[in-house]
Amino acid sequence: MTSDLSAVRRKLNVANGLPNAHYTDPETIAEENEAVLADGWAGLAVAADVPEPGDAKPLTFLGEPLLLLRDRNGIVRVFQNICRHRGMILVEEPRKIEGVLRCPYHSWCYSLDGKLVATPHVGGPGQNAHEDVDKNMLGLLELRSHIWRDVVFVNLSGTADAFEEVHADLIARWAEFDKPLYHGGEDSKFKLEVNTNWKLAVENYCESYHLPWVHPGLNSYSRLEDHYNIEVSEQYSGQGTLVYRQLKGENDQVFPDFEDLSDKWDTAAEYITVYPNVLLGVHRDHAFAIVLEPVSHTKTVEHVHFYYAVENSDPDLRADNAAQWKTVFEEDIFVVEGMQRGRAARGFDGGRFSPVMDGPTHCFHDWIASKIISKRQALAAE
Amino acid sequence: MSSLHEALLAAHLKNDREALVRLYERAADTSDDKDAKGFYLTHAYIFALEAGLPIADELRTRLVHMGREVD
Repeated sequence: MTSDLSAVRRKLNVANGLPNAHYTDPETIAEENEAVLADGWAGLAVAADVPEPGDAKPLTFLGEPLLLLRDRNGIVRVFQNICRHRGMILVEEPRKIEGVLRCPYHSWCYSLDGKLVATPHVGGPGQNAHEDVDKNMLGLLELRSHIWRDVVFVNLSGTADAFEEVHADLIARWAEFDKPLYHGGEDSKFKLEVNTNWKLAVENYCESYHLPWVHPGLNSYSRLEDHYNIEVSEQYSGQGTLVYRQLKGENDQVFPDFEDLSDKWDTAAEYITVYPNVLLGVHRDHAFAIVLEPVSHTKTVEHVHFYYAVENSDPDLRADNAAQWKTVFEEDIFVVEGMQRGRAARGFDGGRFSPVMDGPTHCFHDWIASKIISKRQALAAE
Repeated sequence: MSSLHEALLAAHLKNDREALVRLYERAADTSDDKDAKGFYLTHAYIFALEAGLPIADELRTRLVHMGREVD
């Protein structure tokens, strides 16, 4: 049975949130995953996960085995992590590929740009070629991928419009931040494993309504009225602040700013979800990316990464910054886990929104609903 | 050959690819049987390829000349 999304698509002041089934029912979520995650540009990882040529990292996304890899020319690629021979998993653990990728089963070998380069004994013992096995047709299966702000986005279905077209408005909005980003390294990443559907992490991230209640530590300088909603229908949503204050070290040192920002960014910062599953934040002196990994319909891993304007930023300050944000993100866990458990209440109708404060969340729900309805219509027309 | 066999097993156990290349090449060079030579040389080539060793090109050329690999 398909979910009824009509109430979700109403205007904010009379809309409901997504029905419970979108958080609890595997069948409903399987349909949603295809429409929302597989057909669009989903965040998979960050390019900093594979910093050097030859670095390879196996990943699982929607149950599919994928391989993030930086080739000899420095190009980051995403492949299906399987051999074209028997479908064996090629890489089990993150590692450096020194030469070629050798399948551990029958040793078919692939170059890092995906070409099949060796098929030992394929024509019998010591016969490494066969006229019916055309290496040119049997390279690794590569996914469409696109890197923006160091996040590696993939389009599993291969049918999405180009990333730059889909996200043109957001790319333009943050054009001032289109500068080199330097990942802070080991001290600037962490992950949070959360018992919630990934969408609830988006929903919580998008809105500022909860800030004074869930993050009381922010109240002293970042009051509710200092925030504004960001809503671009069917594209992205989030929140902004007008009172961003730079972190200062023991000697009042701060991170260097990204160059040539307009005055607005002296005190502004913005936090936006790149639909479907990437949470980004920009500030004058640092940025972050959170890639939400939908492990199952009730489990999400939040992969958090921090970036700076210079390669060698102050390591102590970096550690303080990561720790400060980690505290904030951890404060959100009980909320997203609580809302997930709340979705088991059969009487819950998706909830009523604040007509003033919940626009970014409704914008996200409306986008989800529109993608699902479009997919249903396309399938019905086939 | 038994000491070579043991050395190969030890190299496999340690995943010592440089040793595997060297030992499989030696096995090929000391074999009189054409098929065995092709078999061992193939293994030397694959492990050299995997390890990114320059000798992979030379081993490949030998296999091509033997009609066991195509350009």
